[in-house]
Amino acid sequence: MANVKGSSVCRTAVDEGKPADWVPGGEKQTVVDPMEMFHKLPREKLFITGSEAARESMRRANIDIAIAYPITPQSESMQQAGYLYDEGYIKEYYRGEEEIGTFSAISGASRAGVRALTATSGPGLMRGMEAISSWPGARTPIIMLNMCRVINTPLAIQPDNIEMSFLLNTGILLLHAENQQDFYDYPLAAIMASEQVDVTLPAVVSVDGFFCTHARGPVEVTPEEFKLPPRDGWRSAVPAMDNENPPARISRDAPIQKSNFISYHMHASWQQEVFAAVERSAKYFDKYLGGLIEVVNPDAEDFIIASGCAVSQAREAVRQEGEQGRTVGLVKVKSIRPFPTEQIFEAVKGAKRILVPEFNQAGWLHKELCAVLYGRCKAVIKDGPRVFGGMTMPTEMIMEWLAEFRKEVK
Amino acid sequence: MLIQDNLLLTRSNPSGQGGTQFLYRVKDYGLAALTGPQEEISMIHWEVEVIKFTTPETAGFEVCHSTELADKTLKFYTDKSLNEFLQKAFQYFEELDLLEKMLPQES
Repeated sequence: MANVKGSSVCRTAVDEGKPADWVPGGEKQTVVDPMEMFHKLPREKLFITGSEAARESMRRANIDIAIAYPITPQSESMQQAGYLYDEGYIKEYYRGEEEIGTFSAISGASRAGVRALTATSGPGLMRGMEAISSWPGARTPIIMLNMCRVINTPLAIQPDNIEMSFLLNTGILLLHAENQQDFYDYPLAAIMASEQVDVTLPAVVSVDGFFCTHARGPVEVTPEEFKLPPRDGWRSAVPAMDNENPPARISRDAPIQKSNFISYHMHASWQQEVFAAVERSAKYFDKYLGGLIEVVNPDAEDFIIASGCAVSQAREAVRQEGEQGRTVGLVKVKSIRPFPTEQIFEAVKGAKRILVPEFNQAGWLHKELCAVLYGRCKAVIKDGPRVFGGMTMPTEMIMEWLAEFRKEVK
Repeated sequence: MLIQDNLLLTRSNPSGQGGTQFLYRVKDYGLAALTGPQEEISMIHWEVEVIKFTTPETAGFEVCHSTELADKTLKFYTDKSLNEFLQKAFQYFEELDLLEKMLPQES
């Protein structure tokens, strides 16, 4: 790897135009305990875009290899990753041929036992789904940044997070960042959770493109001289693969490829274990993120449950409702997989009305909530407002929906 | 980063188009500074309105284009230039408040 001092591979730092005594930025950093990084180190407040927040997160993530194919609005973050490669914070980085190639290559890198990062947006995610859906079963703790955008026709490059619904049942860990701060914090937490030996799964951190990636917001970052511990490839649910001596028999003659009762049992037990591992990751996210949900005004009768950018709009609606003397609760869902069923139930068990605003046509969060709260929660759960295709969700819209909801459900 | 003096509220863009809004308040006047998403980082800027608050208790306001400070939406391309403007605007709002109090009040 070009950015590893003393590497035996062909390319060296000198080949890339660096002075002979150049030391990669990553080698000047000190490894720090993840809990120390997440909760104890001092933080400096910056005012930066979501793409820049992703860069600062990657700088501290001790990434061995990044592979990506550009697509709006992801391109800017991976351009920033290029700067990190140049500075020596990412050891290897290249542009894949397209998304299927990119996501297949990153899987190979992760199987080899290194920390691997990729990123995409909307249609790129859709193109790569064949490879992506194989990651959890392969037990590859890849980190993927997903800057959401429209995928359906008429096509647009505006924010819309319907693509997240395609990841819900893959066995991937899935976080949804509200703002630039989350897009700094969540990838670091996701990396550490995904690499735990009882998890060993890929993790996706989604963010609503443009609204966060291309706009500035306050972000508190830890000192750049500290980084996460490296990945221990051997410390996984499945061993890292020796890519120079690959176990060819696995792909040539796997029992799983035979249509018989053994293959069915193998597939079933393997998938059960994948989804059990998703649930086991909850305890790590809980301590890294300070909870899988955030609750505002827990004693309210009216609640808004939201994830991503919709949380920011709901937060302001809650503030303005408060100015007018009405208490509205808010549940921010940080983790979509694992889904924090019990925590949400506990938060809204006294609620009378629950509103679920979303930036997508499908209303996937509303469906998730209905599925897990059905028969357990007395509140009426209303889907809306839902905007998509890049449409905006003004605070007034949420407040109008709340007013209507109060008339409908006395 | 913008200065924190007289900062009343930092919130996501309430119009829902992404970005962050800073609300500053000095007496009944203030400034709403909004930075929204742009295609390129280099295009990011501030759009600033002089505002007049409608109540003492809440953050409700109306855009005010009738002061000597500005009769239109202002644009700033750096935090430094906006911070300089903010400092001068705060002084202006203090003086404006004094002058308005000197005028005969309508009964």
